[in-house]
Amino acid sequence: MTSLVRRELKALWNDPWQFALVTYIPILGIISLWWLFSAGMPRQLPVAIVDHDQSQLSRMLARRIQANPAADTIGYQDIASAKRAMTQGEVYALVVLPHRLNRDLLTGHSPTIEIRYNSQFLLVGKLLSSQIQLSLGDGLVHVANKKQLALGVPKAQAEINLRPVTSQTTALYNSNSNYIGFLVPPILLALGQLLAMLVFANSLNRELRLNTMSEWFSLGTRRVLYAKMLVYTPLIVLQGRFILAILYQFLNLPLQGDFGLLLVAQVAMLLAVWLLVLVIFFLLQDCARVISFCTALFAPAFPFMGITFPTQDMPVLAQLWRKLMPSSHYIDTHVGVVSYGQGWDTLADQLINYWGFLFLIPVIVFLAKRVKRTHLADQSLSPEGAK
Amino acid sequence: MTFWQFLMADLRAIVTDKAIAITLFGGVLFYSVLYPLPYLNQVPTEQMLVVIDHDGSSLSRRLIRHADASPKITVTGQVSSIDMAQNWIESGRANGLLVIPHGFRKDLMLGRGATLSYGGDANYFLIYSAVVEGLVSVGLDAGKYVQLVGLLAHGENAKAAERSLNAVKLNSVPAFNPSLGYTPYVVPGVLLLVLHQTLLIGAGILGAGQWQNQGYWRKVSPLMLISGRICVFFLIYSLFTSLYVGHCYYWYGVSVQATLGQVALFLLPFLLSTAVTGIAFSCLFTRRDLPTQVLLLISMPILFVSGFVWPLELIPEPLIWISTIIPAVPTIIGMLQLNQMGASWASIMPQWLHLWGLFALFFMLALYGVNKRLKREPNSEL
Repeated sequence: MTSLVRRELKALWNDPWQFALVTYIPILGIISLWWLFSAGMPRQLPVAIVDHDQSQLSRMLARRIQANPAADTIGYQDIASAKRAMTQGEVYALVVLPHRLNRDLLTGHSPTIEIRYNSQFLLVGKLLSSQIQLSLGDGLVHVANKKQLALGVPKAQAEINLRPVTSQTTALYNSNSNYIGFLVPPILLALGQLLAMLVFANSLNRELRLNTMSEWFSLGTRRVLYAKMLVYTPLIVLQGRFILAILYQFLNLPLQGDFGLLLVAQVAMLLAVWLLVLVIFFLLQDCARVISFCTALFAPAFPFMGITFPTQDMPVLAQLWRKLMPSSHYIDTHVGVVSYGQGWDTLADQLINYWGFLFLIPVIVFLAKRVKRTHLADQSLSPEGAK
Repeated sequence: MTFWQFLMADLRAIVTDKAIAITLFGGVLFYSVLYPLPYLNQVPTEQMLVVIDHDGSSLSRRLIRHADASPKITVTGQVSSIDMAQNWIESGRANGLLVIPHGFRKDLMLGRGATLSYGGDANYFLIYSAVVEGLVSVGLDAGKYVQLVGLLAHGENAKAAERSLNAVKLNSVPAFNPSLGYTPYVVPGVLLLVLHQTLLIGAGILGAGQWQNQGYWRKVSPLMLISGRICVFFLIYSLFTSLYVGHCYYWYGVSVQATLGQVALFLLPFLLSTAVTGIAFSCLFTRRDLPTQVLLLISMPILFVSGFVWPLELIPEPLIWISTIIPAVPTIIGMLQLNQMGASWASIMPQWLHLWGLFALFFMLALYGVNKRLKREPNSEL
């Protein structure tokens, strides 16, 4: 076995791309993706204000929006130019403070403040819509409060009259709604799964490329496979550990459970990835085709994790496809450990969910035997061992 | 070899190469179904809510019924403590919780005010926002109801009371994606990226397999090889692009605002510059399994740096500079503005010219690369 492991390590050392995949490419990828989202929370997003009223009240409301950390107001003279800015993506929302806003409010009419937000950029649009409404609502309550005080209502009572039911909203498990904690772990997991798939597929493809399939079969099909797994599983888990270290130790994101559980879950995920890659490898037996097919299978793993769009709202077909992706099994454990602080017993239940992948083993054995047979037949046809 | 003969030979090479055919024909069709698949239900509805009712009054029961009636929320059960509710959330039986405090109704009727507590599982932002949006509107309604009862009790007439409660109306309307659906949000950008990536992969594999061998590609000049190959990929991809931008946008309910002529004119430099980028890119490789791997690894960063998932204002400047050399980035930005947000042609002119600039740049690079590759003698033993 030691000699087989040494064979794999030598192959890894002699292949610059493979070596890059296990060393600097993951580091580069992890750091650039984290850097992209490093702002953490959307803030200072441009919002167009069209103030047709130009009263004390309308200016106060505009200042309220400016004071909201999510928004950065830009004044426009007319709706047409504000609209143009919005279609060009220069501003993400548009607030129109109508003519006679102040007067209508004082004379007991109910004026309407129009808000338009860019929902083509769903995340930004929804955030701005709720933040602008919050800021405006707050400003208007302030006005109404003054009105009550003028009518002689005691200060404490006035506030309750305006807002009999107050609410306290808590974002459980991610208390300041940080996008790094929400989006970066699943993105890095998707990247890690792609890297793992590529590394293993390359290691298998190498035998095809250098015509060492017969050497593989003579060394023992299974023993070489075990050696490959023995070399690459720890290497990829090390990458996973590096991701966890950046997220939960360097960036100090909250972590309830312990690393041990996550690493065990990563090993299980990797074994499932290996099985899928093996099926495709023995089925197609051509370097470029194996990579193309694996890519097609693993590239869309991210939307199926159910982090951005909830799993229970996906159509049944999508939920079934989700089960095929090892990363979606892992992300459940990841959320469980990181947020809920789940223990080993829950992990055991989640690992049992991988049972479907076991059915791949007989398929792999069957396909491997077929490949071996054709290789032996080829060799007996051309005794000097043709290509 | 005439130009026409080269075109036919190149087209045959693409269609008969299984690795390229999987990516081009298989990939493009497969992804048009698979990427939008999780989002087909558009909006998350009926998130599971667990209620902790410490009040047990008529008003608290009314509140719970209203919460259950909200399309975003379904009340799955009531428990007696917050710890138990948290247990429910952690075991996946609920996504959010609502706490109604003791003496809720009494305090409101006495005019003392009361506080409702909501919580949602913020591991999933869409679930969290659905729970909170649903509950905030329910809480506001309950507050308005109490205020209305109070005002009516003081002898105000019903109409005036209504008006003084809604002193100013805030009319917040989504522009461009009126249903707030997830498919119209994700599909336009992702499908363009799929076209871009598969074209680069196809051109990459084709080139990488040819440089070291003898074949029809050595019988023409580099200039003819590049322009011929651009024509072939342009031909194939104008079909794929028509399928995506024509049929798939329509099928997935993406709002479409630009005219056919404008879209075609905008996508012309996209296809040309992507094709020539693919040829330049293929000069970097001699192994057919490498181009796919490189492009696979950079596809997620390209998606995020094109600005519709995460706002461009928040992306660090250096990353934006690097992204300007990728044809997909100005294409996604320009197409979203032109086709989804209804911008005028003048306002997407910078992106259009940017794409032509990229075409010129990569044409020079491709010329240099192909020249270099074809000068070297082919490996006779391979």
